[in-house]
Amino acid sequence: MNMKWPLHRMFHTWLAMQAFFASSLCFTDPDGGPFATSQGNGERFKIEGRAIVPNAKTQDWVSSSRVLVEGEEFVGFLRTDGSFVVNDVPSGSYVVEVISPTFKFEPVRVDITSKGKIRARRVNHIKTSDVTRQTYPLLMRALGRQSYFFEREKWGWSDFLMNPMVMMMVLPLVIIVLLPKVVNTNDPEMRKEMEQSMNMLNPNPELPDVSEFMTKLFSKGSSKPAGGSKGSRSAAVKRR
Amino acid sequence: MSWLKYGFAVCLYLLQCTDAVFEDQVGKFDWRQQYVGNVRFAFFETHSQASKKLLVATEQNIFASLNSRTGELFWRHVDKTGPEGNIDTLLVHGQDAVVVVGNGRLMRCWETNIGGLNWEVVLDPGNFLTAAFVGVQDHVKYVAVIKQSAISFHYLSNGHQKWIENLPDSDTVQYQTVYSDGQGEVLVLGVVPNSHIVVIAYNIEDGEIMKQTSVEAPWMSSLEESCVVVGEGVLLCVDPITMSLYTLPLNSETMADMNQILLQSLDLEVAAGFQPVLTATQPNPAHPPLASFFLQLGPEHHILLNLNDNGIITTLRDFKPSRLAAFATSGEKTVAGVMTPKNETACSINLFTIDTGRRLLDTTVIFHLEPNGGKPSNLYIQAFLKKDDSVGYRAMVQTEDFALTFLQQPGRVVWSREEALAEVVTMEMVDLPLTGTQAELEGEFGKKADGLLAMVLKRLSSQLILLQSWIGHLWKLFYDARKPRSQVKNEITIETLSRDEFNLQKMMVMVTASGKLFGIDSKSGSILWKHYLENIQPNSAFKLMVQRTTAHFPHPPQCTLLVKDQETGLASLHVFNPIFGKKSQISLPTLPRPVLQSLLLPLMDQDYGKILLLIDDQYKVTAFPSNKNVLQQLQEAASSIYFYLVDSSQGRLSGFRLRKDLSTELIWEVVIPVEVQKIVAVKGKRPNEHVHSQGRVMGDRSVLYKYLNPNLLAVITESTDSHQERSFVGIFLIDGVTGRIIHEAVQRKARGPVHFVHSENWVVYEYWNVKARRVEFSVLELFEGMELYNSTVFSSLDRPHPPHVLQQSYIFPSAISTLEATLTEKGITSRHLLVGLPSGGILSLPKMYLDPRRPEGNLEQSREENLIPYAPELPIRTEWFINYNQTVSRVRGIFTAPSGLESTCLVVAYGLDLFQTRVYPSKQFDVLKDDYDYVLISSVLLGLFFATMISKRLAEVKLLNRAWR
Repeated sequence: MNMKWPLHRMFHTWLAMQAFFASSLCFTDPDGGPFATSQGNGERFKIEGRAIVPNAKTQDWVSSSRVLVEGEEFVGFLRTDGSFVVNDVPSGSYVVEVISPTFKFEPVRVDITSKGKIRARRVNHIKTSDVTRQTYPLLMRALGRQSYFFEREKWGWSDFLMNPMVMMMVLPLVIIVLLPKVVNTNDPEMRKEMEQSMNMLNPNPELPDVSEFMTKLFSKGSSKPAGGSKGSRSAAVKRR
Repeated sequence: MSWLKYGFAVCLYLLQCTDAVFEDQVGKFDWRQQYVGNVRFAFFETHSQASKKLLVATEQNIFASLNSRTGELFWRHVDKTGPEGNIDTLLVHGQDAVVVVGNGRLMRCWETNIGGLNWEVVLDPGNFLTAAFVGVQDHVKYVAVIKQSAISFHYLSNGHQKWIENLPDSDTVQYQTVYSDGQGEVLVLGVVPNSHIVVIAYNIEDGEIMKQTSVEAPWMSSLEESCVVVGEGVLLCVDPITMSLYTLPLNSETMADMNQILLQSLDLEVAAGFQPVLTATQPNPAHPPLASFFLQLGPEHHILLNLNDNGIITTLRDFKPSRLAAFATSGEKTVAGVMTPKNETACSINLFTIDTGRRLLDTTVIFHLEPNGGKPSNLYIQAFLKKDDSVGYRAMVQTEDFALTFLQQPGRVVWSREEALAEVVTMEMVDLPLTGTQAELEGEFGKKADGLLAMVLKRLSSQLILLQSWIGHLWKLFYDARKPRSQVKNEITIETLSRDEFNLQKMMVMVTASGKLFGIDSKSGSILWKHYLENIQPNSAFKLMVQRTTAHFPHPPQCTLLVKDQETGLASLHVFNPIFGKKSQISLPTLPRPVLQSLLLPLMDQDYGKILLLIDDQYKVTAFPSNKNVLQQLQEAASSIYFYLVDSSQGRLSGFRLRKDLSTELIWEVVIPVEVQKIVAVKGKRPNEHVHSQGRVMGDRSVLYKYLNPNLLAVITESTDSHQERSFVGIFLIDGVTGRIIHEAVQRKARGPVHFVHSENWVVYEYWNVKARRVEFSVLELFEGMELYNSTVFSSLDRPHPPHVLQQSYIFPSAISTLEATLTEKGITSRHLLVGLPSGGILSLPKMYLDPRRPEGNLEQSREENLIPYAPELPIRTEWFINYNQTVSRVRGIFTAPSGLESTCLVVAYGLDLFQTRVYPSKQFDVLKDDYDYVLISSVLLGLFFATMISKRLAEVKLLNRAWR
C-alpha cells in the first residue's frame, strides 16, 4: 500500500526551490544519513532559545510551560525570563515546541549536524525538505492565547428575522395582509387584469394541476375503505 | 489554488461537525485531578513563618510545589519518564531548590516562588553518588556533587562550576558521603568495604586536597546505610553484628581509630535480623549537625540519643513501640516528632524536645488508619513557632499505598492526596445501582404468587413511596434554590448513589500500579471507596473485568481483577463489588500454573455472572465461577468457543478451540518470523461495541456493505532492523477463529511506537515516518462489496469472499501519546477519535477525516456522500480539545463508555492526571441542549396565546359590527 499525496504536481516547483536552498546553504540535505536521529554514542548538544509572551506576568505562564523536543523525547524548562536550554540532545532533526495551556506558540524544526552546527527552520510536514530559515537561538513569540471555546450563538433580532423559516412565514403574511389594501379588488378592470395574469402563469389550462390531482386521488381512495381517520388525513393534505 | 479549495471545503465541514466546549460549560460535567506520584523527597519551605509551600520530588520524575493548607498544586514540572528523568536528590535552601536528575546527568536549580528555572547545568558523566550544600561563613554558597570518580563544586547562584577534582583511588573506594560544617573545608568520606574508611578534606576555595586519612573499619560495608555525622563533626556508625556504635571525630588532627561503644552498655538491643538505622539532622548546611539523633533498633523501636562533646552517648528517650520518627526545625528550634501506634486503627504523633527528650504538652495528633489502606511509611513534620514562642506543628504522613495525609492538631485531616492515582493501569465504568425505591419496584416483578389483593396493595404502596420521594425531591430543589449556589453541596456518599435518568453518572473503578483500587464517582470525581491490595509485585499486569453488572438485582454487581506477576506468570484473582469496593466472599479457583489468557464469555451462570475462562501454560482451562450449571453450559457451547494466544518472543499466534472436557485443541497457527519483525500489539474489537448500520449509502444510492467480522484481530508488527531505510511497520488482519489472514499491509520506512484503534470495519493506526520525520495516520477500511453474503449472521467459517480493503494515509502534525475511539450505546452517533497529545490536550478528531474514500478533488457524488476532499495533513484545532486548558500530563490511556443517551459518550483520560468529561460527537440530538432558550420559547408561546385571544375578541367585535350594518 503505497501512499499517494495528491499534491505531487506542486512538488516540482518546490523541488527546484529546495535545490536552490541546498546549494546556498552549507548544510547537507537533511534527508540524508547524517541526520539519522539518536546516533547513540555521538556527542550531545544543546538547543537554546527564548519564549516571549508579550503583556503577561511571568508567574502566569512560566511555571506551566515546557519545551518539548520531538514529542516528549527531550524536555526543557523555562527560566524565569522565558529563556530555555534543552541539554543533552544528540545530533538529528527535531521539532521543538513550547507548550503552554494558555498561550499558543509555533513549533520550529531544529537541525543539528554531527559536528554541532545548528539551524532552525519552519516546520513543514508536507514538504519536509523545505528550508525556511528561522533565527537561532530560537525566538518563540506567543501567537496569542489559545482559543478553546466556540462562541455561543447569540439571539438577536436580525438573526431571527433573517432565518429562512421566519422569512417564509412572515413574507406570505405580509402579502396576504398588505396586497388587498394596495390593490383595489373591487375595481372590475383590475380583477380582469389579475385573472389574465393568473392564466399566464398556468400556460396549459388543459393540463390538470398536480395538487388538484393529488387531492382527488386521496379523497377517492379514502372514500372507499372506511373513512374515519384517513378522511381526516386527506383533509390535512388538502389544507396543505 | 487547490489549497484554497481544500481549505474552503474543510471549513465547510468544520461548521458541520464541531465537538467543542462552550465557555459556559467549563466544569459543568468535566473535572480534572492532578497528581504527582509517590513522593520520594518532601520539604516544607521554612524560610518564613507564613510559608505554605511543600516541595516534593516523586518517583514519577516530577518536581512540584503543593499548597500545604489545601493540598493543591502551586506548580508542577514534569520531566521525561524513565531513568533519564529520575530525580536523584532534592536539596532545598531558602527559595532555591536544587534537583539532580538522571543519575547525575543534569543539575537544575528552581526558584520555588513562581516555579521558574534559575539555572540548569550538564554535569560531567559518571555515576552520581551524592550532593550537598556547602556553606561558608553562615551562607550557603555552593553545591558539591560527588560522582563515581570526581567531586565538583558549583555556585548556587548561577550553577557555574567553581572547581572539579578527581577523587583518589576511585576504583576501589566507594565515596558516599560529603560533609561540611561551614568552615573552610569540605570532607568527602568513602569506604573500602570490609577494610577501611577514607576521609579527604578539600579546600573549598580551590579544591586542593588538604588532608587525606584512612581509618580501619573492617566491619563496614556501606557508609550510606550505617553512618551519619552528628554534633561537631563526629562520624557515627552502627554495626549490627558486633551490636555496637562507632564514633570518629573528623575534625581532630589525629584520626587514629574508631571508638567503639557497645549497645549493651547503653542497655539497648537490636531486633533480630534488623539493620539499625541512624537519623541525624543538620538544619542549616552552614552549621554543624545537631548532637541528637535517632537510632532505630527494630521495626517498631526508636531511641533518641545524644552525643556530648566528650564523645559520650546518652539515651534521652526510648520510644517503644514507635513506628516513625522525624526531626523538624523552625527558626532556631528543632523538635522531634514520633509516631506511636495507639491501637489497630489509630496512631498518635507527639513532639519532643531534642536536647532533653521531654514531651511537649498538647502536641498530640491522632492519625486514623484507613481500614483497607497501607501502613504509614514516612513522617514529615512542619514545625512553626506560635505567638507565645511555643512550638506548634502539622504533620504529613505518607503511607505504603502512596497516600499523603496532612494533619493538624488535634487530629483533623486538613487534606489528603491519593498519589497512587498518578499511575492508573486500567479502569472500568460500572452503572450505578437503582435506588432502594426503584429496586423495590423492580423486585415486585421478581416475586410471584402473593395473591391478587396483596399484589395490588403492594403496587399501590410502592407507587405511594415513589410519589413521596418525588415530593421530597421537589421540596429539596425548592429549598436549595433559595440558598446561594456555593452553599449547596451535594454530599455524595455510597448510600445516596443512584442511577440518574440518562445513566450519565457511573462508578469509575480504577486499578493503579501500586495495587490500590479506587471507586470514583464520575460526576464529581470524589473517591467513594479505596482498597489497597497488599503483596502486589511492582511490575504486575492487571486485567479488570465486569462479571455481573448492576442490572441483576438482587444479585450484587461483581468485578474481577486478574493480577499477574510478570516474572513468574502466576496469577491471582480479586473479586469485589464495584459499587462498595467490598471484597467478595466467593470461593476462588486455585491457579497453580502461569495464566496465559483470560476470556470473559457472554454466557452467564444461574446468578447472571458472566463466565470467566483462564487458560494456563499447559492449555488447560479453568472456569470461574465453576459449578455444575456452568460446566453444563460450557459443554454445550464448547464447540463454538475459540480463543487465541500470542507468543511475541517466538512470533507465534495460535488459535484454539475448547473441547467438552475443558481441554483445548490447536486449530491454527501463524508464525511471524522474529528475525524480521516482532509482534508489538494485538487487538480485537471491544465486545460492548454496537454497529448500527450495516453499510454505507453511496452517492449513487447503492449500498457498500461493511465487513463486520467480530472475530477479527489486528496484529501490529515492527521490524527488528531499526535502520531508517529498512525499518517498517506491518499490520495483519487475522480472523481469530480460522486463522485466515484477511489482509496484510506494510508501511515502509516507518517505526513505532504504534498506536491503533480497531473498531467496526476499520483500523486506524499511527506510526512514525522515519524518512519524512513526521507522524502519520493510516486507516484501513474493510467492505464486503455491494452485496452481503449472509446478511442474518456472520460466521468466520462461511465467508468465501475476501473483503475489499481501502487504505489512506495522512500526516498528523504532532506526536501522540494515546489513541481511542468514542463509543455510544447503539452506534448511531458518528465516531470520533480521541487523540492524547504530549502537550496534554485531548483532541477529538472526527473519524470522517480518516476515511479512505476521501476523494482527490471535489466530486458531485462524494459531496452527496459527505466525503471531505483528501488533504494530506490532518488539522489540529484547539477548539477540538475536549479538555480545553485542563491539560492531562503524560496521558497513558483514554477510556470511553457509552451512556444512556445515544448522543453522549463518557470519556476518562488517565495519565499523571485524571480527566473526566462527556463528548457529543454528533452534537446533542436526543436531548435539549443546555443553551436551550426556555425564555424565548415560553415568551413566544405566551405571545401567541395572547395574540389569539386578542384577535378572537377583535374578530367577534368585527362580526358584530358587520351584523349591525
